[in-house]
Amino acid sequence: MAETTAEKIKYRILRFLDITGFTVFDPMVRLAFGEEPKKQTEAITKYFLIPILFVLLCTGLWWVIAPKHKTKSGEVPTPDVVWRAATINDTFSAREQIKADDFILSGAEREATLAAVTKLIATREADLEILNQALAQHEADYAQQLDQRIEPLKVKLATLSGQNRELRSMAKAAITEAAAQFEAGTVASEAVVAAVRHERQVYADGRASESLIKQAIEAIRSEKYKPMETARLSVNAVANELQFLNKRVDFLSDSNRSLKVVEAEQKLAAQKAELAAAATAKDAISLAKRVVRSEDSLERLSGQQYASAMTVYKQIQRSLFTVFIGFILAALIAIPLGILCGLSRIAMACLTPIISIFKPVSPVVWLLIFQIVVGAFFLDPDSHPLFLFFDSLPWLGSLGINPALIFSACTVAMCAVWPALVNTALGVASIDPDHVNVARVLKLGFWDRLIKIIIPSALPLVFAGLRISLGVGWMVLIAAEALSSSDGLGKFVWDEYQNGSSFSFANILYACFVVGGIGFLLDRMMIILQRFVSFDGGGTSL
Amino acid sequence: MAYLEIKDVHLGFGTPDNRTEVLSGVNLSVEENEFVAVVGFSGSGKSTLIALLAGLLQPDSGEVTVAGQPVKEPSPRLGIMFQNYSLLPWLSVYENVELAVKQVFPDLRGAALTEHVNRYLTMVNLLPATAKKPGELSGGMRQRASLARTLSMQPEILLLDEPLSALDALTRGNIQDEIIRIWEQDRRTIVMITNDVDEAVLMADRIVPLTKGPRATLDEGFEVGLARPRNRTTLNTNPEFRQLRSQISRYMRTLNDESKQLNQQTVVDLPSSMPIDFSVLPNRPAKGRRRPPIIDRETSFFK
Repeated sequence: MAETTAEKIKYRILRFLDITGFTVFDPMVRLAFGEEPKKQTEAITKYFLIPILFVLLCTGLWWVIAPKHKTKSGEVPTPDVVWRAATINDTFSAREQIKADDFILSGAEREATLAAVTKLIATREADLEILNQALAQHEADYAQQLDQRIEPLKVKLATLSGQNRELRSMAKAAITEAAAQFEAGTVASEAVVAAVRHERQVYADGRASESLIKQAIEAIRSEKYKPMETARLSVNAVANELQFLNKRVDFLSDSNRSLKVVEAEQKLAAQKAELAAAATAKDAISLAKRVVRSEDSLERLSGQQYASAMTVYKQIQRSLFTVFIGFILAALIAIPLGILCGLSRIAMACLTPIISIFKPVSPVVWLLIFQIVVGAFFLDPDSHPLFLFFDSLPWLGSLGINPALIFSACTVAMCAVWPALVNTALGVASIDPDHVNVARVLKLGFWDRLIKIIIPSALPLVFAGLRISLGVGWMVLIAAEALSSSDGLGKFVWDEYQNGSSFSFANILYACFVVGGIGFLLDRMMIILQRFVSFDGGGTSL
Repeated sequence: MAYLEIKDVHLGFGTPDNRTEVLSGVNLSVEENEFVAVVGFSGSGKSTLIALLAGLLQPDSGEVTVAGQPVKEPSPRLGIMFQNYSLLPWLSVYENVELAVKQVFPDLRGAALTEHVNRYLTMVNLLPATAKKPGELSGGMRQRASLARTLSMQPEILLLDEPLSALDALTRGNIQDEIIRIWEQDRRTIVMITNDVDEAVLMADRIVPLTKGPRATLDEGFEVGLARPRNRTTLNTNPEFRQLRSQISRYMRTLNDESKQLNQQTVVDLPSSMPIDFSVLPNRPAKGRRRPPIIDRETSFFK
């Protein structure tokens, strides 16, 4: 039976889904190629639509429950707020990029952009005017509504407190009276005590009734007025944009690199002319020194780039870079050691105590240890040749490699080394005795036996270990970055927690999803690698 | 002196206080280019015997010699074909054979290497499946790949450890024919382990029974005088074949009985037990039927 082209494509797609572990989409592909529509629809409903509904249900629950919990950082953000946080972070990154581009723009292009931006500012200012008016209108409405609702309560409160005052002064009078009677000897001392107690009761009751009304007023004040909130958000958005546009104008005009360079060149030319006309030897020396300084600063200036703020995408890049450094370190240590342990029972016996003791140690402890140890190597990190070298590299330079990154990576490596080590040792030790016999019959030497028999046979387990290692490493990294202030997603979360703006909580939840999503992708990558090296065709768990 | 010789070999496993003597006083001589089949019950030490011949195990006492030289370690000269194929699952069929060829004939390169590998793959009719991994092959194809690998080393002695026991009857017959054909084309000494008397009679020149373990030993052999080529379809009606087969079978049965008698003292018969019959409830007579007698409410033991 010959396969048609369509079938070939179908099986290729299905194979791809199988390797990547996205078998959920399997029935959809089959349905698209018209294979047993009824069965596929059923599979899609069961294993795709129902899970999606479940996720939606969870999101719905989040949406309902979140606003009910008030924290000191405001309400727990709902999904839409988290989404807004994501878009704000995205806009911020895009704007930083535009600023960086503007800074190095020159010539006619710069002028054209400047004109466009100036024009845009004018229209946006007009927009802002309108939005501000709308906001003022809403604010007035809100104030009016508030007045309408609160005024009766205020009146009620005033009457109530008047009544309470009256009651209290009556009770006070009763005390004086009781005391006078006691003095006269007509009543016992208990009557005075009773009067005092009565007065206190009256006072407490009054306070309680007043606070009820006050609470009602507070509740009305804290209610959100949706139209005003939305109007304020749009005003803020346009105001932010205007601020950004003004900054652009600055980078396109006064702070622009090309203009600064022109200015410096003119200054240098003037200085050179002055030097040429110098009368005395002493003047010549001082003027020549000035020229040299200017030349140097001109050179620096022409290579200058816009110093972009740390955007979330930059943090992601840096986190990924750090985790890979740590992971590669872990693999370089774990695989040879694991092979050694699997081959030699003595090596295994030697390493077992070390593995057993250090495996359960918390990443926080490792971080502190590495911070001290690594810190000792780089007493003056700003002028250390290693970091100067890294800074001069094209992409790595922008990540800002520093000791914090190195000891974060070391912490990742330290925590990620164990699963890979243990799994490699297991893989090597559990090699099929038949394969060993084949090697003996063929009289393979040590290296041939290692490379041709032992390593291929252990590879699936090695990769299973590496996959666990990478997962552990990614988890550890976020904590390490938060604690060590090494730029990355961990620091992003930590900074948000510290600065406590109105969007902080939403940003933390946003980071939570970003970290989870990237962790998922890393795991998938390892699954694919694992599938490529596994010869038994066995599936890998999710 | 015979080409392959086993002289008074003893071999046991286990700690000194809990030792099992697997083989004891084993003697065998195989002439050059002879096809000897060793038949025995499962667990009688057949695989241990072949591992000894291949040099994978060393005897406690006695000696295994090939052409007068004692066998001290495994080598490609003693081509062993394992019971469970032992193909490397991460290599394709071609690469499995190539690995062996490269190791045994390090001077072969390029086209000569390919030609050598393909010659043996053709010999076992595996040429269409060379690019496949062992995991994608059927049991028979795997066994053929394993055979090709062993043959490609051009061993002086071929040691086959129950090569066909894991295969279905049809594939078994095919590969039997194949082994015989290859042996007839390219004569060499073969020792084959099997538990199938018919297979032994069909293929071998001589059949040597292995007595029941532990302390198994080799008995006198039976010469198979049937003319070659032997045809499996007509063989069944051949009186000589039938006589030989029944002779060997009878012999194997007596071995079995002997070992039973030998072990009489040590073996305790398990009690034959009767299950509780829940289908019959003691207090409720079955409707319209006579209540059958209850055998025994408890599990009953009787000797």
